[in-house]
Amino acid sequence: MEPITSDPCYSSWLEKSKSPSHSLFKEELVELYRRAGVASIFCSLPPKRVSPRAPMEIASANVICLQVSFCDLQEILPFSSSIGFCKHPLVSLATQRCRLSGEPCRLSVVVKCSLPSDPLLIRISISDTGVGSCLEEFQGLKFSRQSIGDEKWDGVLSVRTTGKCDNEVYHYQLNLKESASARRLTRLPSNPKNGVKFSGTEVILSMFESADALVAEINCFFQKNVAYELVVERGDAPGSQCEHVFLANESNPLSFSASNLECLKSGIEDYVLKHGYKKEHLKVGSGTAYCTEGHQNTGWMMDTVIAISEISEPISSCFRTSGAKSEVIYFKDFSPCSVSRSSMKALTSIDWRSFGLTLKSIANQGGYAFLDWEGLPPNTRIDIILHSYHKQAIMPSAKQETQLDRNLIKRAVKLALDDLKEKHAGVLLSAHALKIRSYAPDLAKTIAGLILSSNDSGFQGECFSLLGLQCQGVGGEIVEDCIKKKIISVIEMNDRKSHERSEDVAPFLFEDECLQELDFQEDEYEEGVGFVFLARLYMRFSQLDQLMLKPRILSMGVLESPAWLPTVYWQLEIEHGYSLS
Amino acid sequence: MGDLRKSSMRFFSDQNLCYADILPPSEIRARIEVAVLNFLRILASPTPAISDLPLINRRSSNCRTSKGLLAQVSCVFLSHSFCTRSLMRANTAKAFIRVWKVMEMCFGVLVQEKRVTQRELFYKLLCDSPDYFTSQLLVNRTIQDVVALLQCSRYSLGIMASSRGLVAGRLLLQEPNQEVVDCSECGLSGHAISGDLNRLETLILNTDARYIIVVEKHAIFQRLAEDRVFNQIPSILITAKGYPDIATRFLLHRLARAFPDLPILALVDWNPAGLAILCTFKFGSIGMGLEAYRYACNVKWLGLRGDDLEMIPEQSLVPLKPRDLQIAKSLMSSEVLQENYRRELEIMVQHGQRVEIEALYFHGYDYLGKYIAKKIVQANYI
Repeated sequence: MEPITSDPCYSSWLEKSKSPSHSLFKEELVELYRRAGVASIFCSLPPKRVSPRAPMEIASANVICLQVSFCDLQEILPFSSSIGFCKHPLVSLATQRCRLSGEPCRLSVVVKCSLPSDPLLIRISISDTGVGSCLEEFQGLKFSRQSIGDEKWDGVLSVRTTGKCDNEVYHYQLNLKESASARRLTRLPSNPKNGVKFSGTEVILSMFESADALVAEINCFFQKNVAYELVVERGDAPGSQCEHVFLANESNPLSFSASNLECLKSGIEDYVLKHGYKKEHLKVGSGTAYCTEGHQNTGWMMDTVIAISEISEPISSCFRTSGAKSEVIYFKDFSPCSVSRSSMKALTSIDWRSFGLTLKSIANQGGYAFLDWEGLPPNTRIDIILHSYHKQAIMPSAKQETQLDRNLIKRAVKLALDDLKEKHAGVLLSAHALKIRSYAPDLAKTIAGLILSSNDSGFQGECFSLLGLQCQGVGGEIVEDCIKKKIISVIEMNDRKSHERSEDVAPFLFEDECLQELDFQEDEYEEGVGFVFLARLYMRFSQLDQLMLKPRILSMGVLESPAWLPTVYWQLEIEHGYSLS
Repeated sequence: MGDLRKSSMRFFSDQNLCYADILPPSEIRARIEVAVLNFLRILASPTPAISDLPLINRRSSNCRTSKGLLAQVSCVFLSHSFCTRSLMRANTAKAFIRVWKVMEMCFGVLVQEKRVTQRELFYKLLCDSPDYFTSQLLVNRTIQDVVALLQCSRYSLGIMASSRGLVAGRLLLQEPNQEVVDCSECGLSGHAISGDLNRLETLILNTDARYIIVVEKHAIFQRLAEDRVFNQIPSILITAKGYPDIATRFLLHRLARAFPDLPILALVDWNPAGLAILCTFKFGSIGMGLEAYRYACNVKWLGLRGDDLEMIPEQSLVPLKPRDLQIAKSLMSSEVLQENYRRELEIMVQHGQRVEIEALYFHGYDYLGKYIAKKIVQANYI
């Protein structure tokens, strides 16, 4: 059986996969697979798949897109974890290679029955168009006898790989069961590339497993694949019963240079919008935190996206969670990952209260963290996605499995929450701000009342102009409303900033430069120490051009002089301030 | 120069004094308008904020005393220590809004050129904003906040004092172009002192009394008025019926200035509360420190004092209440309290007992008059 990579169709396909337009793509791919005998893939998919287009729809110009049905490799592939085959090193390595190439790539995993006569022998091929493989990454793989039985797989990987600058496609065979490193790698004859420039890798393994068993596992995988879509970003997968179809959003394709964070954001937006939530009710915040050791960036970072969405009436939700619960979707290195205990602890220790949220409980179900909120408004849901990865694509190895800094999660989530607050006024207000905000209408009413009860049109005019209102015919309600809006925006702004600044002092009503700093205590009365020279204070009032004030200020100066100077005069002045002669 | 010396000269050498101006309504309206304009200016600025209200701190920590250099009057005044009312702190947000609400109310009163009492203001505020004003005390406190913010007297805000005070004795009062009132002919209830400081200011006073007697309690005042003690000892009787209100103090102060040769003698119960009342007449109060300092008078302590105790039967001695001890403590801590008063206070606290003036009736209902006369003649007052 010919490996796919040597198929001329494959190379032309590789070339084409890099171009944004893919009108011929579909046909080519079908042809390719047909020739490779994998047309059966489509048939093996669950009949309830939503969109017939789905498997072939390929996103335009995206980093990676996943091909169909590499589902149950978790069952059959060696060293897979209980969650997501994507943690499988082979796929993960392929992912890394694609990332390293810096170009749009394609990763495909194909499962097919090797021989029609023997349905138990299946062939799994994982291929990608990323950079060529340095074989060390495979050398590092360890074969664990627990995860897969000896009789199921012979431990042999067939690897074909080529880099852009290579003249040929190299072919190797790796025997992972072989302990001696010398006998692990066998070099096989290469294929010439005939001048075509491309890079890619294909890893093939064969093992004994029932294809039906594979099919049975597909739904389970696809459920998890939902999450994967977000990372992989406009990849496509046939939907589960709940119609989780991610079609390429052609109306708003992300540019290639979109950061991982933007991809993540776009993904969650699509995810939520497809479930009946409206764009205007969707509020998204994001943030990236960097892991540092000492003062150095270790290169590990965490992207976080938090989406808050509201609907007017509840829909039969296909989400795993209902509104009051949030699921934390967690990725590591572009693969879905189970949430670790330290991550759970980190999530619990976040100060949700300062964002107006009360966490009732947190549970770990099947590797996913579920946050149970108290008092969340009905029909509001919160989705949280975390993705930790290394800045540079590095080959994962056992040694490099960094224990994620617990603070990294805290910081990342907080950044995303702050971002949400920053972008959307009035969202995630702390309980304190909500309380203060409740006083805003009364204050606005009082001040509006003051303005309107005056019979001094000059004063009123100046007030209106400060508020940005037209002087003529302004009703009390408009004035009140205007003041209320301004007060509320200050309260919300202060709430957003409250994390950054510690003790910011609001300006005084009668501001004076001489006023020194004040200490605040938690008390009905807050005592402060400030020394304001009385004369200056009264300068404020003398702005009003009240002649009678000026003599007073003069007389203040007189205070300094000895007693025999007109003390009595001064005394009279104080007591009968307005009846000066 | 002699006149200057005679008049109670006060020498305030420090600029630290904070006081409230007595100003016309237009001036106060202007101050309130400035307050509103500043608030809006800061709210609508490029860096908007909700300004805090700086209020002169009415606490003993901000209290200073000034001792008259050449004369006998010391008083208590407030310095430039501020406390703030801020909207941004949840527990003071309501107090913040209360200040604005009272300002709004007073502004309205001034625009209409009216005057209201604190009681009337309370009812208006209660109906208008029941969430914010639940008691008269809260209203009074907030009014003091506005006084401390705008640094103007309560009276200037359009708030009339409703006086409790009474005056009786050898005093002729005349409002301009009105009839003369002879306070010795007012019966045992005396003449009610008006709450309108303006009117008190313009009163024309005439007397042939030799002493002014300040009486703590209404009952004692009535007894003395009924017995016409002021004819036996030419005197003016004045009472605030308890803790002195501003109008009574104002009148006393006017009397003191008008008739500077008349010693002012206080007749109070022998307990810390009585002494506190005396001290308020004498020095002023912290709570109303921005205004009250003006009305400090040189009041002397006639009785009851420690050395009168021998005249009192044992049974009349009553234990001090915890409240009394609190008052004693705060009086002790006041730096303005003179040494002999302090000693008296110490004896009170040590004995743990107090005595009311009525205890003197043990010796007969007319004993009080004789007691007073004797003490005055002996110049037995401190």
